[in-house]
Amino acid sequence: MPETVKTPSSNELLPPALLAKLERMELVSRKIFRGRMKGERRSMRKGQSVEFADFRNYVPGDDLRFVDWNLYARLDKLFLKLFLEEEDLHFYTLIDVSDSMDFGTPTKLQYAKQLAAALGYIGLCRSDRIKIEPLDAVAAPAAPVLRGRGQVWRMVEYLNQLESSSNAPLVDSVKGFCSQNTGKGVVVLISDLMDKAGYEAALKYLVARNLDIYVIHVLSQEEIDPDVSGDLKLVDCEDNDFTEISVSQRLLDRYRKNLAAFIEQARDFCARRGIVYTMTSTERSVDRLVSRYLRQRGLVR
Amino acid sequence: MSFFDLSTIPWYQWLILGVVPPLIFLLYFLKLRRVPLQVPSTFLWARTIEDMHVNSIWQRLRSNLLLMLQILAVLLLALSCLRPGCRSEKLAGDRFIFVIDQSASMSAEDLPSGKSRLEEAKSLVKETIDRMSGNDVAMLISFSDRAIVQQSYTTNRTLLKRKVDLIQQTERSSDISEALTAASGLANPGRTSDRESQIDMQVAEGREAVLQIYSDGGVKEVPRFSFGKLTAEYFPIGAFDPPANVGVTAFSLNDQLQSDGQIEVFTRLQNSGLDDTTVDVSLYVDDQLFDARADVDVPGLGSAGVNFDLSGLSGRIEQSIPIRLQIDSPDLYAQDNQAHCVLNPPRLSNVLIVSEQEKYLRLAAETDRAGKLAQVRFESPAFLNDSEYERQTTLGFFDLIIYDQCRPEAMPACNSVFWGVVPPDGNWKSVKRTEVTPVVDVNNAHPLMQAVQMTTVNVLASNLIEGPVGSVSLVDSIDGSVMMLAPRGGFLDLVIGFPLVEYDESGEASVNTDWPRKLGFPIFMQNLFVSLGGQSQFAQSFNRKPGQLLNFRSRLPYPEVDIASPDGKTETLQARADNSFVFSKTEKSGIYEVRPADSKEIDQLIAVNLLDRRESDLSVTEKMELGFVEIEGTRTRIPARREFWPWIVLLAIIVLMIEWLIYNRRILI
Repeated sequence: MPETVKTPSSNELLPPALLAKLERMELVSRKIFRGRMKGERRSMRKGQSVEFADFRNYVPGDDLRFVDWNLYARLDKLFLKLFLEEEDLHFYTLIDVSDSMDFGTPTKLQYAKQLAAALGYIGLCRSDRIKIEPLDAVAAPAAPVLRGRGQVWRMVEYLNQLESSSNAPLVDSVKGFCSQNTGKGVVVLISDLMDKAGYEAALKYLVARNLDIYVIHVLSQEEIDPDVSGDLKLVDCEDNDFTEISVSQRLLDRYRKNLAAFIEQARDFCARRGIVYTMTSTERSVDRLVSRYLRQRGLVR
Repeated sequence: MSFFDLSTIPWYQWLILGVVPPLIFLLYFLKLRRVPLQVPSTFLWARTIEDMHVNSIWQRLRSNLLLMLQILAVLLLALSCLRPGCRSEKLAGDRFIFVIDQSASMSAEDLPSGKSRLEEAKSLVKETIDRMSGNDVAMLISFSDRAIVQQSYTTNRTLLKRKVDLIQQTERSSDISEALTAASGLANPGRTSDRESQIDMQVAEGREAVLQIYSDGGVKEVPRFSFGKLTAEYFPIGAFDPPANVGVTAFSLNDQLQSDGQIEVFTRLQNSGLDDTTVDVSLYVDDQLFDARADVDVPGLGSAGVNFDLSGLSGRIEQSIPIRLQIDSPDLYAQDNQAHCVLNPPRLSNVLIVSEQEKYLRLAAETDRAGKLAQVRFESPAFLNDSEYERQTTLGFFDLIIYDQCRPEAMPACNSVFWGVVPPDGNWKSVKRTEVTPVVDVNNAHPLMQAVQMTTVNVLASNLIEGPVGSVSLVDSIDGSVMMLAPRGGFLDLVIGFPLVEYDESGEASVNTDWPRKLGFPIFMQNLFVSLGGQSQFAQSFNRKPGQLLNFRSRLPYPEVDIASPDGKTETLQARADNSFVFSKTEKSGIYEVRPADSKEIDQLIAVNLLDRRESDLSVTEKMELGFVEIEGTRTRIPARREFWPWIVLLAIIVLMIEWLIYNRRILI
């Protein structure tokens, strides 16, 4: 009997209980985007569908096919019948795959994958256009564009093969993403934002693309409440930079204060630019995050 | 001397000590290997550290706080090794001789601090030793009735101080002369080292030295002493005002034989204080309270006599009984509050008089009084060749033998009187003299000559006597001694130069002196019986002083005896050739019990008492007269070196504790 290779199952990322919950949800965009294909969602745009929306006066050049001849007959005026457009949503999930994401229990990367899978599943269920992109400097094979419930397994497989590899600055990766993907839509950035070069520039790129941006700031419990003691030499896993500390209550207090300030700063930065910011710990379950926090934030409904 | 004292430890140890702080420094950094820990990002940590490094010098110091504290602790300990201290004065001179009085009176506890005078003197000397500089040398002498060089010249102050601590209180009297002689040994080297040499030459260069005497001043006069290159300083030890102290200065028993069985104890109490004092006195016989006197008034700076009647014991005395007098009222000087004596059963002395013409001697020896003192046997010189004489003299049967113009072949094993001849042992010399010999001086202080009037005595002719070393002249003529007393082992020999009766060549006897007709003659004979016939043991038993050699004979000849001291120590003594014993360890006053070896029966009791008026007098003399020099006492206390090192050590310990606390609690970075 061949040795069973442990293949990452979809169960790890998407437990059945979670799936049941997610099926009832729907991704929401606060902005009106033009989908490329007809989707299952009613767009804010008026378009061609069976669902009536409104009338408007005819102006020369309008498609005569949409003139309401019945009304012309009664009122002797030309009105155009407007229908609600049903379209798909471009939903991008950007996962930070820097080495720093490979920490925590579960690792922040794992958490990010799970979150991406959950959101992706919601999108696939609603026939949205899902694209999950690792923020990778290396020119990785282009991420697949997924649509339809049948692609769930493909998405899970793709997520499972993602590994932390890149130590590229966040801004470069985002820049790369922006140049490759021109469509509009919803973008969810899952990152720990621990970038010495700063995350602000990266977010600005996204803002400039007029995307509907969500930032999910993932922190491990070790970062929120470090359990260290003694004289330590802290080595940065990304650039091997080190910082020598002698742990004391004072130092820990100061660290927590700094962390709080860092989070507050990010929240503020995002709020100012219409970015929805959510901070989460890896200890918080994805289920809870999606069904409560993201629902509150309006990403899903 | 400076603030620091570098001589506390040798230089190489300083070197080792100096290496310690850098070593700790190195070890600290070697030790502090920070544990590497990989973290997602040092982003926030670096920020945190930056925040805290606003004033980085303090930050650095703080991060190495433990190191700093350790180095501080070691530096403090090193500093304490330097023995920092301060004082105001430098000692003048570079050679010191410390002379400490350890006599009985130094045990008085009259100082405000409650310390005894000796303790005070010792601490003063130690303070002075501390003030010596590194190259100063000092010598340490203690004295009581003799001097002990505790430490010859040395620069080692630790050794000196240890030797000071070793000086112990004695119960002896004070005599500083020996100490002065020892002290001047180096300052004034002997003029010549050869005693026989007539040439007076300097043998070594004299070295100037400072002689510091720590005493209460109650010392025997030193009539002849020259300080030479010594500079004397006297530090009186003791309270300014003489404290009230009542002590026993005399304690004696009367002569039972002279007073018909009446036994009396005579006591003299002396008060050295200024105020009149009242004391209670108890008399213990054989350790049982026998009699007591309450409220005996002793006037300030005066004395009072107390007598006890022990006649009730008369006739019941079968063996020696110890008698102890105790002043029950406590005072600052305890040693003179007790006195001891021994009451011996009365016994007739055995006296042999060997004489050709014993008429005068017989007359004097057969008085009523003499009969109560001694049993006298008369024999002619022919008896000296008799075997009975030989047996009895070697067994010690006789207490006293008087040889009147005859002499034995060997000295007898008892006291002897040689009348008109010199003893046969060759130590005596006599010079024949035929002229009239006027008596010019009589030593009436000696018990033998007490109450003996000699100035009216005419002596026709007498030989001049010259005795061996240690002889005492009792009667002097214009040319020399005519009566001398000399010790011989445990015995005494009296040699009288003039015979009572002289025989010319034809054998005709003629009177040589009219002494037998005088009243003094029978008294002299009685004195002989008392002093030399063994009756004086009453008197002698309490005349022994602490520290004196005890030279005694057992009542029966034993090869060895055990002697028990008042402090309970027992020592076995071997008899000497003349059946006498010598015991030297009489440091304690009290009753010494002599027993035959391995026997419980007491052979005799010997009382040892100080009974010294000078020691009982606690007043401190402010001037000391030594030789021709009068030395003013320096009462001003030398400012003592104030030591800081215990505080520094304390500080170091506190620093170590803080370090421990920080290490464990990490209350600071």
